[in-house]
Amino acid sequence: MQPIDPEHHDGTSDATPGGAPDRRRPGELAFAGALLAASLGLLYSAYGISGFEALSAPGSVPMATTLVMVVTAALVLLRTARLPLDRAETLAKDILPLTVVLFAVALVLYGVLLRPLGFLPTSALFLVGAVKYLSRRGWAWTLAVSLGSLIVIWLIFRIVFSVLMPAGILPEAEVIQLFRDLLQGDAPQ
Amino acid sequence: MTRAFLGALGALALTATAAMAEYPDKEIQGIIQWGAGGSTDTVMRAITPHVEEVLGGTIVLQNMTGAVGAIALNHVAGAEADGYTLLMGAENPMLYKIMGLGDKDYGEFIPLSILARGTPILVAGPDAPFDDYAGMMEHIRANPGEVRFGSTGPGGLPSVVTAMIDAVEGGLDVIAVPYDGDGPALTALQGGAVDVMPAVLGVAIEGIRAGKIKPLAIFDVAGHDKLPDTPHITEFNAAYETYLPWGPFFGVFAPNGTPDDVVAKLSEAFAAGVQNADFGKLMEDRGFTLMGISGDEARAFLTKWQQGTAWLLQDAGHTKASPEEFGIARPGE
Amino acid sequence: MSVLADVLTVVTQPQLLLLVGLGTFAGVYVGAIPGLSVTMAVSILISFTFSWDVYPAISLMIGIYMGGVYGGSRTAILLNIPGAPSAIATALDGYPMALRGEAGTAIGVTTVMSFIGGFIGIGVLALAAPLVSDFALRFQPRDYMLLAVLGILLVGSLSQGSLLKGIFAGALGIAIGAVGRDPLTFAERFTFDFQILEGGISFIAVMIGMFGVSEALGQLHHVDKDAVRQKISRIVPSLSTVRKHLPLSLQTSSIGVVIGALPGTGGDIAALMAYDHAKRVTKNPERPFGEGAMEGLVAPETANNAAVGGAFIPMMTLGIPGDAVTAIMIGALFIHGLNPGPMLMIDQPDMFWFIVGALVMANCFMLLFGLTGIRLFTRIVEMPRSVLIPMIMLLSIVGAYAVNNSVTDVYWMLGFGVFGYFMRHYGYPLGPVILGVILSRLLDDNWRRAIISEREDLGRFFEGIVTSPLSLVLFVSVILIFVSQTPVWAKAKARVFGRKGEQQ
Repeated sequence: MQPIDPEHHDGTSDATPGGAPDRRRPGELAFAGALLAASLGLLYSAYGISGFEALSAPGSVPMATTLVMVVTAALVLLRTARLPLDRAETLAKDILPLTVVLFAVALVLYGVLLRPLGFLPTSALFLVGAVKYLSRRGWAWTLAVSLGSLIVIWLIFRIVFSVLMPAGILPEAEVIQLFRDLLQGDAPQ
Repeated sequence: MTRAFLGALGALALTATAAMAEYPDKEIQGIIQWGAGGSTDTVMRAITPHVEEVLGGTIVLQNMTGAVGAIALNHVAGAEADGYTLLMGAENPMLYKIMGLGDKDYGEFIPLSILARGTPILVAGPDAPFDDYAGMMEHIRANPGEVRFGSTGPGGLPSVVTAMIDAVEGGLDVIAVPYDGDGPALTALQGGAVDVMPAVLGVAIEGIRAGKIKPLAIFDVAGHDKLPDTPHITEFNAAYETYLPWGPFFGVFAPNGTPDDVVAKLSEAFAAGVQNADFGKLMEDRGFTLMGISGDEARAFLTKWQQGTAWLLQDAGHTKASPEEFGIARPGE
Repeated sequence: MSVLADVLTVVTQPQLLLLVGLGTFAGVYVGAIPGLSVTMAVSILISFTFSWDVYPAISLMIGIYMGGVYGGSRTAILLNIPGAPSAIATALDGYPMALRGEAGTAIGVTTVMSFIGGFIGIGVLALAAPLVSDFALRFQPRDYMLLAVLGILLVGSLSQGSLLKGIFAGALGIAIGAVGRDPLTFAERFTFDFQILEGGISFIAVMIGMFGVSEALGQLHHVDKDAVRQKISRIVPSLSTVRKHLPLSLQTSSIGVVIGALPGTGGDIAALMAYDHAKRVTKNPERPFGEGAMEGLVAPETANNAAVGGAFIPMMTLGIPGDAVTAIMIGALFIHGLNPGPMLMIDQPDMFWFIVGALVMANCFMLLFGLTGIRLFTRIVEMPRSVLIPMIMLLSIVGAYAVNNSVTDVYWMLGFGVFGYFMRHYGYPLGPVILGVILSRLLDDNWRRAIISEREDLGRFFEGIVTSPLSLVLFVSVILIFVSQTPVWAKAKARVFGRKGEQQ
């Protein structure tokens, strides 16, 4: 256990991005290459909107911006390629440690399950799993913390702000209506 | 074995409650096609509390914007037809097909209520060198390609009114400057960025009262009691009678297949909402005409509206696809 | 003195005062949670306060508005996740301060400065509303376009590290903002024929993903490290600190009022422009910008709260909303039987003065709630990361969904979260992406309006710029700022001035 060193630019603060200015981090070249490829694709797509129809055409500004993207991405790629590789870092340790990969996968799973399963069950699974994995504490603590906070979030968003997250398998609306009727004192007809 | 038993029990319980519970037994989602603060949003938020009272249920309003309302329309069209998801929209989905914005329109829906309709009005900035419609036409003819008309994109009210002028007067040589909605366009009008703007009377009325906006002509076959001094367009040119009265409208819709008793209950509730005195005053103050029609009457209104508008735009060359392709008959055929 | 009586309405009726206070308190928390926006809260309040009288309803809304604009800075400082778009610039220097354990100081300064900015905004509203709204109306499409270009040049001050990567990020942001059906012609842009892309990508989803999820993923590297202990002994900044930053805060507040009063631009752009301004005029910050400079907090926070008063200016004088929240308030006035428009101030001046009074009280409550309860807030950062990280992720998901009730936005948010994580690691700044998305439509729509108005004629377009004093000033600023970012300028400056030159 050691405190975070604020002087160490590890990408945790946006104002000081985590790149190394004079060395190439593992995977950086591939990332720059991917950005260039994506920019080229977008430029082609922007051309397809309206071509060189008119200055006021819907495709004019997109074409100009994607052109800027292509040029800058190409320059970044060139510069990156010229930098020496940082031998002290590895992709698996410094860029994509197992935990990050696991969480990225968990988030994707969350997105897939959200609609069919519904907000409450999916979030409960995610929170319990994530907290348990990260904290390595007992089940009672994990369940209490994660389910407790989930209920608070749900109450704020669902009841106060009436944001209707996908209900999925739980008959959420019916339950709420039940409480609403109880509160108003008249039984459901 | 036990699981199957429990499942069967659960299913039984569910169908039993479904049969016993009367609509609405949970909250209803009202999907508003436009963003918070717009006129559709305001109208829907104003009528909903009155409807809830009659209905004895809760309607949770949600704004779902994007793709000129097509996102919301597709969302509700794809929702279960159980009366728990309603679409609260304006007139423009009737033009989606011919504008190439989608393959659905209100044909996929049961109109629960067409709440009200607006009257278009042609307005100009306070410094415009003309004071009425005739003067404007003269000015346009004297300065071809110089007068800037505010617009809200293809299919919007200004484009329809401009197409009407085009059809009646022939060869309207103006610049159409597109804005996000009539609010921003009227702002631009007051700042001099556009010269003339076809708008809904209700949105322009306060500006007119304050003398910040100059009314040119009301686009109707008769005058409007909110602006008794402003002439209507047929006073200038009787040829407009072919296309008028025409105007945007607000309506509430449920997907096709919604049970009849639910539709009846909702239609009744919205009809009662329209009748509410507070709502009526609110709408009247803004220059809207209350309608409150539903069922076949609403369907007939929608069909007529779509035919007239679609062909008008088609003849003006503003469409992506001919109305014919979608079986929209030319009016009078 | 009926004006005074109207202003004091809110104070003399305890019920109204209570509602303003309640609203402000709720607003601070609504603003602090990314995804819960003031716009959302106020539009829900329309239905909620439907049967109320107009004064109580407006009191509550004003409280939420004032508190919410301020609240966004909390999470920006503590977690590097701006609670609202107008707090993006606050994160740039606020979070580095929290990393040093100075979150208390940062929040204290932010609160006092928001208070000062808020008052300047209200002052201008009360004293010069008609004047400012006349000025705001004078902005033509080409002026808005020049303003957007001026905004895009901020990329320079938002990208520490590589400017090249910053420009790329900014252009990417503009492209993201263009996705979906073009609102002016309905042409599909970057949709690749996918229906889910037609609605475009919500910029709040991009912001939450880039700042929230990518930050949370980054924090996974430090799960086992101790949280930074926060010193919260000195919260209220000393008088000398306030006095030192007063000149800057006056300048940035003016930026806030004007940008806030322009229909179509709001606190988010104002805060970023103010940050850029602070960077230009501050010669010797105690700490470099981006590493916890006090000026980097003062500028955006005064500007975004001054923009609140600014946004009410066109609303009260013309019935034209200054931003999304005032748009909804216009709807609320209308529902309560008033007719918002240019006649409102003439027919019902009491309403105008009542709103001024309510804003003043909301501003005072903001100071009160801002300076208390910090201890509780800083506890958030001291929570174990094993709980904090999953919570941030879940809140990001719900927040992204809540913006437009769309699961698609959740997918985008997650996608940009992962993408942002890589951007962070390879030294691409994230600020310019958000800047690009915010400015995308302002730039694109107004460029097209401007060039359509001039019949596609570039000659006439430039003639228009040169002949209008307002456009000319904006155009010259654009040129000067652009040149000042190129190496040529640095050389010329060293030779001619021998010290830093100033524009604006």
